Amino acid sequence: MSFRSKLFGHPNPYDIAGTEELFVSAVRENCSYAYRHCPEYKTILDDEGFSPDQLRCAEDLAKLPILPTALFKRRRLLSMPRRRLPVVATSSGTSGHASKIGLSFGDLWAGLKMVLRVCRKRQLLSLRPCHYVVFGYQPNRKNRTGASKTAFGVTLFTPALSRTYALRWRDGKYVLDLKAVQAAIVKHARSRFPLRFMGFPAYAWFLMKQMDEQGLRIQLPKGSKLMLGGGWKQYYTEQVDKPVFYALAKKVFGLDEADIIEFYGAVEHPILYCDCEHHHFHVPIYSRVLIRDVQTLKPLPHGTPGLVNLISPMVRGTPLLSVMPDDLGVLHDNCPCGLDSPYLEILGRVGLQDVKTCAAGAAELLEQTEVSL
Amino acid sequence: MILANGRRYDSAMQDSILDRLETQLNQTLAKPAPAAETVIAAIDKLGQQVAAGAFDEQIAALQIDGAEQYKDLAIRLLRRDYLEFKVRTELGSDFSADRVTNPPPGLAPLRVCTRPLGVLLHIAAGNADGLPAFSVAEGLVTGNINLLKLPQADNGLSLAIIEALLEIEPSLAEYIYVFDTPSSDVAAIKRMADLSDGIVVWGGETAVAAVRRFAHPGTKLIEWGHRLSFAYLSGDASQQALADLAEHIITTRQLLCSSCQVVYLDTPDMDRVRSFCDRFFPVLEAAAKRHQPRTMGAIAALTLQSRTDHLENLLNGGEERLWHSPLCSLIPKEDSVLELSPMLGNVLVKPLPRARILEVLREKKQYLQTAGLCCPPEEREALAERLIRAGVTRVTTLRNMSATLPGEAHDGEYPLRRYLRTANIELTEQTDS
Repeated sequence: MSFRSKLFGHPNPYDIAGTEELFVSAVRENCSYAYRHCPEYKTILDDEGFSPDQLRCAEDLAKLPILPTALFKRRRLLSMPRRRLPVVATSSGTSGHASKIGLSFGDLWAGLKMVLRVCRKRQLLSLRPCHYVVFGYQPNRKNRTGASKTAFGVTLFTPALSRTYALRWRDGKYVLDLKAVQAAIVKHARSRFPLRFMGFPAYAWFLMKQMDEQGLRIQLPKGSKLMLGGGWKQYYTEQVDKPVFYALAKKVFGLDEADIIEFYGAVEHPILYCDCEHHHFHVPIYSRVLIRDVQTLKPLPHGTPGLVNLISPMVRGTPLLSVMPDDLGVLHDNCPCGLDSPYLEILGRVGLQDVKTCAAGAAELLEQTEVSL
Repeated sequence: MILANGRRYDSAMQDSILDRLETQLNQTLAKPAPAAETVIAAIDKLGQQVAAGAFDEQIAALQIDGAEQYKDLAIRLLRRDYLEFKVRTELGSDFSADRVTNPPPGLAPLRVCTRPLGVLLHIAAGNADGLPAFSVAEGLVTGNINLLKLPQADNGLSLAIIEALLEIEPSLAEYIYVFDTPSSDVAAIKRMADLSDGIVVWGGETAVAAVRRFAHPGTKLIEWGHRLSFAYLSGDASQQALADLAEHIITTRQLLCSSCQVVYLDTPDMDRVRSFCDRFFPVLEAAAKRHQPRTMGAIAALTLQSRTDHLENLLNGGEERLWHSPLCSLIPKEDSVLELSPMLGNVLVKPLPRARILEVLREKKQYLQTAGLCCPPEEREALAERLIRAGVTRVTTLRNMSATLPGEAHDGEYPLRRYLRTANIELTEQTDS
């Protein structure tokens, strides 16, 4: 049995201390696989004089060469032939510079075990049927984004009575149809069965504002949940503080704060970070998060903000061992929820999206370098 | 948020405000336009408030590097003496006074009056903080009623400035309407356009093209589009000139219309281009180190970009890149095309012998703005003339490529003139006498 299988089979998804050795072994195992099977990864490790056997204890994880997620947008890096990769997920960037990440059967199997354990812990799995409203893309053969796959996957947590999508595939393109979503919600609110929402927070926010302006107040059936993931994307400037968001959800849907669940993840780091009852993203046993100095990339102590380095042995199809998205974040300890694993707070994106320019063609060019998760 | 007649309204009120707008505009147009002096006095007072720190909090919230210089520039531009100088330069002294023509004998004289266009719709871009307020100020000085559509990314600074101005001079309230209509609400913007005599549009080609699509063919369009600028070096540039150019490139981060994208050398010889890079790179790097970004996000962006570039280069065969550091780079190219550089301290260096200036620059005539010229003094006149013939609208020293030079035109025109029209009244016997 591989170290990865053991790690992903561990019963407690937040038992960091009890799985430390296993985690390091799984990373070493995966690193040596990628070193042997992905020539580009070998070039990078050789250039930095790093060999997989150097991974002996948790401190050594920081020495793994870091691959910025932007690199996956510029180069296709795979450790397996295409035929062994049943899923090629892309980041949902609209810029034409999306990452392409290949996942093998083994990767998906590990991922499934992770999702089930994390969601069971948060009591999201149930046999009670639900209606689903997805604030995201209606599945379509042409849409390969990770976001659409995740959103659909979540509708499998319980038996689904119905699925309504905010972004509908019509005449060869996606259109945002909040009216249809609103109609479905009003209808399902009278149902005996709970309603679950899943998808981008921005669309949920627009919908709630729209309903609030029309004076609509709904009490959703008990057990209904609002599940958010994927960030605010192009609506970055409209992002609202969490308490404001929760207050509106209470007002419009009658949902308590505890019924709102948020996820964090990235195509280049497909680990499921699910928030706890205090809305903190605890690091599960499947990954480690290091915060690094924005200039020197040296690891920083908890509590100090910096660039976010995500480490995980989950994926073999693509060398995603140690990646760095365009996020700034900080790690915290001592969450009142009782989990001892540290939690990650995302503070925002790195600087380029605020750049203002009047040089001809510049805005379009900068747009392309922006990375969306 | 909408501002109308000096009061704030919720964005949801947009349609009912637009319903009443035509009547209100007509009522205002029935009165004499505000005098330039009234507007200048109010703006001057506003400038004093800025100097006294009234907007420090908002400016700090912009989180821009160089916020201090930004504030200093604003204070300078808002001063009475500067405004009076601008009006005098662009419109001549006493522009609002009517005059009577003096035609050849036998022809009847006419009265000539300079009047505001009437109603201006400003479609402002989010590419410079406070720019929307600046655009409105130009419209006000010329006596126009101003409808302002804020850019999506506006951070509240423009509205705060406008409200402060109205507090100083409440009589201007009926001359300023501010809408936060999103660009996607074309129907509402078209309604505003239909009520306007002129549309002032700031922004890239997409914004300008969109306005041309919905504007009535008879409405006057005043387009301030995006531009490209470059440096032109002939002969041996002094060390000081190179330091000035480096300072300009690094401090503007090559993001402005007037920022240097390409350094042209007056030579057909690539060896000379490379030896110039040898000489210029340390100067550029020194400037980049002096002005390292201070905000955490900007430093992080550089670090990530530099790491990604390094890995990509390694995977592409690891060719050694001369003239390259995490903070800046020089990219020599054999062609002469004027194009956008990768910006943020990464500048293109190309050969362009003077005999080819016209053919090369004319290909980009729609975009030309500033040429920072460095050459022996006896050649300056002739080279400047050739650059201008090619379509360049500003020829400056390397140091001042992006400086605001008092009295200068904007992309080839004095903007205030475009916000006015000339009307004539035929003299009758009664008025003649």
